[in-house]
Amino acid sequence: MRAQPKWVNVVVPLAIALAVLIGWEAWVRIAEIPAYVIPAPSLVWSTLISDWPTLWPSLLVTLKITFLSLLLAVAGGVALAFLFSLSPWVELSLVPFAVVLQVTPIIAIAPLILIYAPNTLTALLICAWIVAFFPILSNTTVGLRSVDRNLDDLFSLYGASRWQRLRFLLAPSALPYFLAGLKIAGGLSLIGTVVAEYAAGTSGKESGLAYRILEASFRLNTPRMFAALVLVALTGILIYFLFNGISRLLLRKWHESELDASR
Amino acid sequence: MSAFRIAVAAATLFATVGAQAADKVVFATNWKAQAEHGGYYQALADGTYKACGLDVEIQMGGPSANNRPLLPVGKIDFLMGGNMLQAFDSVKQKIPTTVVAAHFQKDPQGIIAHPNQGIEKFEDLKKAPAILISAYSLAGFYQWMKSQYGFKEEQTKPYNFSIAPFLVNKTWAMQGLLSSEPYSIEKEAKFKPKFFLLADNGWSTYSNTVETRTELVEKKPKVVQCFVDASAIGWTNYLYGNNKAANEMIKKANPEMSDDILAYSIAKMKEYGIVDSGDATARGIGVMTDARMQDFLDKMVKAGLFKPGEIDLKKAYTLKFVGGGAGLAEKKKLTGK
Amino acid sequence: MESLIELRRVGKTFANGTQALAGMSLSIEQGEFVSLLGPSGCGKSTVLRMIAGLAEPSSGEIVGGAGKGARRDAHDIGFVFQEPTLMPWAPVLDNVMLPLKLKREPPGAAREQVGQALAMVGLEKFARSYPRELSGGMKMRVSIARALITRPKLLLMDEPFAALDEMTRLKLNDDLLRLWQEFGLTIVFVTHSVYESVYLSSRVVVMAARPGRVVADEKIDAPYPRDEEFRLSPAYAAACRRVSQALHGAAAPAEAM
Repeated sequence: MRAQPKWVNVVVPLAIALAVLIGWEAWVRIAEIPAYVIPAPSLVWSTLISDWPTLWPSLLVTLKITFLSLLLAVAGGVALAFLFSLSPWVELSLVPFAVVLQVTPIIAIAPLILIYAPNTLTALLICAWIVAFFPILSNTTVGLRSVDRNLDDLFSLYGASRWQRLRFLLAPSALPYFLAGLKIAGGLSLIGTVVAEYAAGTSGKESGLAYRILEASFRLNTPRMFAALVLVALTGILIYFLFNGISRLLLRKWHESELDASR
Repeated sequence: MSAFRIAVAAATLFATVGAQAADKVVFATNWKAQAEHGGYYQALADGTYKACGLDVEIQMGGPSANNRPLLPVGKIDFLMGGNMLQAFDSVKQKIPTTVVAAHFQKDPQGIIAHPNQGIEKFEDLKKAPAILISAYSLAGFYQWMKSQYGFKEEQTKPYNFSIAPFLVNKTWAMQGLLSSEPYSIEKEAKFKPKFFLLADNGWSTYSNTVETRTELVEKKPKVVQCFVDASAIGWTNYLYGNNKAANEMIKKANPEMSDDILAYSIAKMKEYGIVDSGDATARGIGVMTDARMQDFLDKMVKAGLFKPGEIDLKKAYTLKFVGGGAGLAEKKKLTGK
Repeated sequence: MESLIELRRVGKTFANGTQALAGMSLSIEQGEFVSLLGPSGCGKSTVLRMIAGLAEPSSGEIVGGAGKGARRDAHDIGFVFQEPTLMPWAPVLDNVMLPLKLKREPPGAAREQVGQALAMVGLEKFARSYPRELSGGMKMRVSIARALITRPKLLLMDEPFAALDEMTRLKLNDDLLRLWQEFGLTIVFVTHSVYESVYLSSRVVVMAARPGRVVADEKIDAPYPRDEEFRLSPAYAAACRRVSQALHGAAAPAEAM
C-alpha cells in the first residue's frame, strides 16, 4: 500500500487536468457561451496554433528576461548574503533597503523605472530583479548562519583559510537554504517580468507574452488572451519543475528535504 | 362620483402609469467625467432623455475601469467608443454590437511637443528621441502613425498619464487629449505646448461613438433613436446654450474638474471643430457617412491591424439613426445659424 | 617526563559573567589517558576547548596547547566532539580526509591514509556511504578516524560516547583503548560517567562546579590492556568508589591502589 508505482504520480494529475478541460469544453458548448466571454479549450488550442508565429517570439522574450533577471537575482542575492555574513554592520544598514524593495508593489514603481532606465530591456530586468532577489538574499543569509557550530570549530582547529571555510563549509551548509530560496525566486522572476511587461508595453522591437495579453485585450481578442495566458502558465510550471529538479539533484543524497520517503 | 369623473381619473391614472414606464438604460463612458462628455450630462440635466422616454444613468469609465465587456452581456446598454477600431474588432470577434451614432466628427487625440524644438509639422515628430505612448495607443493609432508616416516603435516610451517626464525632457513628445494634457502643461510649466491633432493629419475615425447591442437596434429602435437624438440636442445645448447644470453634474461626478478646465475644453472643442464640423453642421451632430468609414478601414488595413476583406463594414455601424438633423433647430435658436 | 600540556592557574569568565573556571592547574604527561570527570557546569569542556585553541583563558596560561602564543601546529591535536560532527553533504571518505585537505595534502596520498584510518576503526567498507546512512556508533567511529588522520600526539574527546547506547559504548571503549595503545597517543577524555572514566583512564581528574576547579586527582593503576575482567574485578569497584566519593565531595583522602 505504501509504495506507489512511479507512473501514478504522472498519470493522476494529467487525468485530473484532462477532466477539467473536458468539463470546460462541455460547459462552453452547452451554455453557448460566446468566444469573446470564455473561449472553449478547443478554440484556445487552435488559436495557439494559428497565432504561434506571434506568440512564440514573445514567449522567447519573456523567457529571456525571466532567466536573465533570475541570474542577476542569484548573483546579487548570494553576494549580498555573504557580505552580510561577514559584517553585521553592513547587514544592519542594508537590510531596511532590502525590505523596502521587497514590499514596494512593483506595479506602482515599474512605470517610473521604465521612464528613467536607459532602455526598456534594462528597466524590465530591474523590475524582475527587485521582485526575485529578496528570497535568495534572506534564505542564503539564514543558511550561512546555520553552519554547525562544531564543524566551524573543527575548521578553526585545522587552521582553515577564509577561502577554504567558504568553499568547504559555508557553501555546502547554505546550499539547501539557497535552493529553497531559488525555488521561490524562480516563480517570482516570472511574475516580475510579466508585471513589468504589462507596465512597459512593448520593449521596442521585442514584446513579451504579457504585452500580447494586454494587446489582445485591447483588440477584444479573448481567445488569443487565453492562448497567451496558457503559455505564461506553462512557463510557470516549467520553472517550478526545473528548480525542484535541480534541488532534488543536488540534495537527494543527503538532505532531509529531498530524501525518498522509503528511507 | 359621476362617470365622467371616473373616466378622467382612470385616464390620468393610465397616463401616469404610461409616463412612468420610461425605459431605464445605462450609458458607459470611456473616462472619468469631463467636458468631452458634456453633451450627455446636458441631456440628462435638461430632461431631454426623459422627454422621449428614457431614464438614463451615466456610468463613468476611468483608468482601471473596463466597461466594454459589459455591453454584449447586457450590464450596460450604450457604450462610448473612443474610435472605430474596437467597433471593427467587435465585428472581427463576432461580438453582436454596432455603432449607431458618432457625436465627435474628430478624435480629440493628438501628439504634444515642446515649442522651439524645430517641430512645426506632424512629420517633424519623427525626430523626437522619445514619444510617450500608452500601451493601448501603441496597439491602436501608433500603428497607423507607423504606416502612414514612418514612425518607429523603438522611439516610444510607455505613457502612464504623468506629464512629468515630458516636462523634464524638452526633446520628447507625448500623446495627449486636446483639452486635458495641454491645459495641465500650461498650468504647471507655464508654456503653451505644440499640439498636433491626429484627425487633422489623416486619422479619419469618428469619436465619441455610441455603441449598442444589435439586439437593441432590432427590438427597441425607438430607445436607440431617443438616445441618439437627445444626445445630439444635449451637445447643442452644451456648446451653445446654458451648460451650468451639466458642468455641475460633471464636477460632482469627477472632483478633479473645475470651471476653468471645463471652459478651456469647450473652447478647444469649438476651435478644432471636434463636435460640430463637416457633415454635422448641415445634417446634425452625430452623423456618419459610409465614405469616411471606408476611408478609415482602408487606413487600418494598410497599418496592418486588419486583413483586407476581413471586416464587413455593414456589421460595424448603421446610418439609420443619424443624419436627420437632430439638434439643428435648437442650434438655430441659440446661435441664429 | 616533561609534561605535554600544562595549565597554570587558568581562569575563564564568559561574557555574560559566568565564571566557568577559577585557578585551575593541571599537568598532563605524554602517553597518559586522563579523564576529566565532573557534573554539568564544572568547566571540563571549556578546559578541552582551551587546550585546542578554540577558547582563550581569561587568566593564567596554558603551555603546550594550540592556543595563542603556543606553537600553532594544529595537526598535533585531534578533537572528537559529543556529536559526530560529520559534514552531511559529503561521503565518509571526504569527511575523514577533511583535515588533510585543509592541510593541502596531495589527494592521492591522502586517500591512502584515509583508507588506513578507516581500517583502524573497522569501516573500510563504508568509504562511499553518506553519514545519514550510518548508525550513531559508526558515525562516532568516523569522527575518531578523522581525528586520528593527521597522526596527532594529543587526542581531545568531549563526552564522545554519551549519546550512544550501552553496548555500542562498551565496544567503542575497547576500540579506543586499542587505538591509544597502538599509536602512543595522549588522550584527554571528558566524561560525566564514573564507570567509564575508571575503565578507560590511567588518571581521573575530578572537577567541581561554581567555580570550575579540580577537587581530586586519582591514579588508576590497573594494568593495560583492560577488558571485561577488569570491569568485574574488585579493584575496579574500589576505584569507582574512590572516584565517586571524590565526585560527591567526601573528605576521604585519595588512596593509591
